[in-house]
Amino acid sequence: MFEDYAKFIDEGTLRELEIVAKELKGIKVLHVNSTKLGGGVAEILYRMVPLMNELGVETHWEVIKGDVDFFKVTKKIHNLLHMSGRDKLEHEDVITYMKYTYENVSVIDTDPYDVVFIHDPQPLGLIVKKKKNQKWIWRCHIDISTPDEETWKFLEMFVNGYDASIFHIPEFVREGVKIPAFVIPPSIDPLHDKNRELKEDFIRHVLEKYGIDPRRPIIIQVSRFDRLKDPIGVMETYRIVKRRYDCQLVLAGSYASDDPEGEEVYRDVIEAKGEDPDIFVLNLPPDSHLEINALQRSATVVIQKSLREGFGLVVSEAMWKYKPVIGSNIGGIRRQIIHGVTGYLINSIEGAAFRIKLLLGNPEQRMKMGINAYERVRHSFLITRHIRDYLLVIHRLLKG
Amino acid sequence: MSASEFVFKSELWTAQYTGIKANTLASFSKALREVDNDTIYYHLYRNLFEYHFLPTEYGNSFAYWLAENGFPILAEKFSAIDLMECTCLDHVREEMLDILYGNSESADKICKPFYFIRAVRKIIDTGIRASNLKEFSMGIRRVGTHSLFYHLVTSRLSYREPLNDFSRWLLEIGEEAKARRIEKLDLMAYSLYEVRERILDILEN
Repeated sequence: MFEDYAKFIDEGTLRELEIVAKELKGIKVLHVNSTKLGGGVAEILYRMVPLMNELGVETHWEVIKGDVDFFKVTKKIHNLLHMSGRDKLEHEDVITYMKYTYENVSVIDTDPYDVVFIHDPQPLGLIVKKKKNQKWIWRCHIDISTPDEETWKFLEMFVNGYDASIFHIPEFVREGVKIPAFVIPPSIDPLHDKNRELKEDFIRHVLEKYGIDPRRPIIIQVSRFDRLKDPIGVMETYRIVKRRYDCQLVLAGSYASDDPEGEEVYRDVIEAKGEDPDIFVLNLPPDSHLEINALQRSATVVIQKSLREGFGLVVSEAMWKYKPVIGSNIGGIRRQIIHGVTGYLINSIEGAAFRIKLLLGNPEQRMKMGINAYERVRHSFLITRHIRDYLLVIHRLLKG
Repeated sequence: MSASEFVFKSELWTAQYTGIKANTLASFSKALREVDNDTIYYHLYRNLFEYHFLPTEYGNSFAYWLAENGFPILAEKFSAIDLMECTCLDHVREEMLDILYGNSESADKICKPFYFIRAVRKIIDTGIRASNLKEFSMGIRRVGTHSLFYHLVTSRLSYREPLNDFSRWLLEIGEEAKARRIEKLDLMAYSLYEVRERILDILEN
């Protein structure tokens, strides 16, 4: 499997990974997160764990257990860390979190491992199991720079028990974190159904299925139905562009059945769409990777107009498909798009419309930017780079 | 490295936040004076590696930050720092501080924060050796882009000499013309994959 990646980078780079991994031979690594299926973390681990093993670094993956009450609390904690002011961590929440943490402490055996990666806040409390000769790393996938203070105070004691933390970008690091904070962006897997090459026939078939015209320009945003992804703003952008260009808009995403807010946003989007036959609002099952891939590949321009974003890897996924991306000038999107080179960073609906028109009117520029976008991802956002970063962090912690 | 054998090495790095951020030109200058060399390295060299093959507006993240915050002249000057001529990080730090010196007028203007990041560096031996031109070409073909970058750019810091490793070795074995042509390659104009092809062309034709 590892060799399959050689065509995307080069053999020498793969060999370098093997060399670093060889120096770590004999150590055992454990990843712990909150779900085996769904979400970016599980997606990365699904591929990364076997690749690390293939490299000779024995790596395992465990998932914490919990019931609805526990995951309601962890979702609340997630939201409170990501953005303060919307809710409050109650005494009962703390009790629930601690109860399930201690249940998991007795179930998940972390003792045989030299290095333990704990992903996100849900399993954070497992740190109480840390042994003296082990290195524990908290891999935080969310922005905790401006958390709800009470929630942070509760979690801070756990965080500072770790040997190191890893964040996507430095802007996400909470000031006052006392442990070393590594900066490692997430990555995409070029072999995943979301990203692998597709036959033209299949792409055409997907467009036909949804009634999208392949001969007219397609603007697309792929994201779950969430106000923070600003789907209504994307529609307003499209309407400005539409005055000049006969284009279509695809808003493709999903919402979970237990996500009432998602359903509400979806309904609002459908209402805002009105009778426009050139707007396609596609609520797809979460595992529609091939269809999403096909829709992205068929796009003329990709937009990601989030108001707030974790990292926004969907940007890299589109860039990997040679698409110029117009994205909000925030967080992780800023780290992926190079303004004027791989796409454009925008700060308003009008700015987005202006840039889309610029690209729709200039196929040569689109092509050039698309090539730059692909190269940018190949160089910086593939899973092989991610593995190398993890190996270097492990090396630094174990061997100094 | 003996004259008869070239050892292909590579340099890998990951990033660590220093906890230092600056939101004025004054605090930026202060931090630039205080951060360690691996931090200077990260913002200059890692940026060169990450973006050298793309037509970016500025050459490093310091320059980008300066431009974004309304200091276009300083940005251009930072961008013009030629890392191919740089053999010492302390000197390049001084060069940057000299550029900033005398900009007291807008020194306290509030800017977007700049986050200082340290490169956690690791040099590895790729296990590939060359003792003649044929093996040397083979080695260049087999190593990764990090290795090319190390031998063409950052090893200048180790040897404190403005000459790339490949050319140095070629000079040692009497291949002066090839050495000079490789040294003249403009890394800002090509991707490292293209640079590899050009070096092979120089070596083999």
